[in-house]
Amino acid sequence: MNGFLPSLWSETLKMRRSKVPLLTALGFSIAPLVGGLFMVILKDPEAARSMGLISTKAQLVGGTADWKTFFGFIAQAAAIGGALVFAIVTAWVFGREFSDHTAKDLLALPTSREAIIGAKFTVIAIWTTLLSLFIFLLGLVVGTLVDIPGWSTDLLRSAFGDVFGSAALTIALLPFVALLASVGRGYLPSFGWTLLSVFLAQIAAAMGWGDWFPWSVPALFSGAAGPRADLLGTHSYIIVILSSLIGIVATFWWWRSADQTR
Amino acid sequence: MEFAIETNQLTKRFGDVLAVDSVNLRVKPGEIYGFLGLNGAGKTTTIRALLGMIRPSAGNVKVLGQSVGLYGRGPWARVGHLVETPSSYPELSVRENLEIARRLHGVPDLEATSRIIEKLALTSYADRKAGTLSLGNLQRLGLARALLHEPELLLLDEPANGLDPAGVVEIRELLTSLAHEKGVTIFMSSHILTEVDRLATRISIIHQGRLIEELDTDALEKLRSKRLGVKVRDLEAAQIYLRSAGYKFALNDETILIEDTQAIERPDDIAQLMVNAGIPPMRLVIEQQNLEEHFLQLTGDTK
Repeated sequence: MNGFLPSLWSETLKMRRSKVPLLTALGFSIAPLVGGLFMVILKDPEAARSMGLISTKAQLVGGTADWKTFFGFIAQAAAIGGALVFAIVTAWVFGREFSDHTAKDLLALPTSREAIIGAKFTVIAIWTTLLSLFIFLLGLVVGTLVDIPGWSTDLLRSAFGDVFGSAALTIALLPFVALLASVGRGYLPSFGWTLLSVFLAQIAAAMGWGDWFPWSVPALFSGAAGPRADLLGTHSYIIVILSSLIGIVATFWWWRSADQTR
Repeated sequence: MEFAIETNQLTKRFGDVLAVDSVNLRVKPGEIYGFLGLNGAGKTTTIRALLGMIRPSAGNVKVLGQSVGLYGRGPWARVGHLVETPSSYPELSVRENLEIARRLHGVPDLEATSRIIEKLALTSYADRKAGTLSLGNLQRLGLARALLHEPELLLLDEPANGLDPAGVVEIRELLTSLAHEKGVTIFMSSHILTEVDRLATRISIIHQGRLIEELDTDALEKLRSKRLGVKVRDLEAAQIYLRSAGYKFALNDETILIEDTQAIERPDDIAQLMVNAGIPPMRLVIEQQNLEEHFLQLTGDTK
């Protein structure tokens, strides 16, 4: 890809100067903070009631105050919250070129369009991975401060796999968001697509077809609906990888071939 | 390379709309070529096709002797462009916007950015966020981006857009010096006719997607030339007299148009001669048709 490094430098500069990294990090930090709050409540519901953290009418069901539950919550946040927050990142990286009318300045250059799109995907992958790492580390800090019982290094290892596995599967499906932001020439179509895919993922999972529907797989992997071994098979991961490849190829194809009239 | 730009039967259709219809352009190296048309005439579509941003429905495009092929391939390291409204990354400074352009153009000279900032009089705005610039300064930034890599060919869509009168003169002088001193070919579209008229060595007019006229230097010169318009009661007698006196003239409606320099410089002499010959003029006026009249006449006729 001719000009990949200059493109990566450009995309990194745009990201550094933007407020979107800070805002997405703040938005994503809600997950471990709320998780920490739940742990406080679950540890001593009566104390939480007397402190006014929860209503006296609240019925707390499911979940115990331990690291396993807390990590499970963060893994689900990476899958479900990630679908939304990572989509914002992707929509911004691609959609901004149309909102700011800068797409036309990326086309007739000695740097190939493939290099520019490749750099955009690379920045998205790095950014979203850093966001996942951020909520995992923040979760560790919050969990330690709240003093949750049930810590073990084995649990830490498996939790790391759960959180980053969920995040990786979510990240793998982002090329469709990039494609919609490109074809729709702006943010809105990609946001519409993201909401639709989250909605369809719920329906597919509820109907028992989640293992065949790529957008259901990250949440099922995170344990949101029970142990993943019962819910997902090898075919589920293959479908996610194929969907990812289709999204990447379609995005590259669109930038190479479609008429750029804006 | 015979032509810097060459299109053969360039056609672009968007659904049922024929945006550009069988356009044949030939722009020679070193020319300043004015591309005129009303809004929606097909100027920007043509420029986008020249830059490989849209695929022609029919015909082909060659830029600097190289075919503009599939997937936007072309000699873009040697081409600078400014298409439609100037754009920039608003949260980045002017310098950072240009630094991106420098790197994407593969310009190794680290000083290129500072040089172009100075050349386009953007020094006092260099560290200001592009989002805070006025339209005129944004246009300068767009021109700076187009010129940064010292291209052989410049494709400019409405380059005077948003500039104040002093800025217009400055950019005009800059473009003229680029063409005359560095041999840069300039292809500029505009609907500001006076600008094109002052700059261009050749002009073509596009209307409803079709190239309806091309004027070379001679035709432009003729268009800009002055004539003495004379109105008389006895048109026939006046023509006989002027012919016998050796004046060259043309007839337009009921007006005799004398093209002799001597007549244009001393219209009082003509008046005296005609009075003496018993054909006193009712009206004497120095006329100069301009591009605007010509353009309106052409585009009006074809509506």
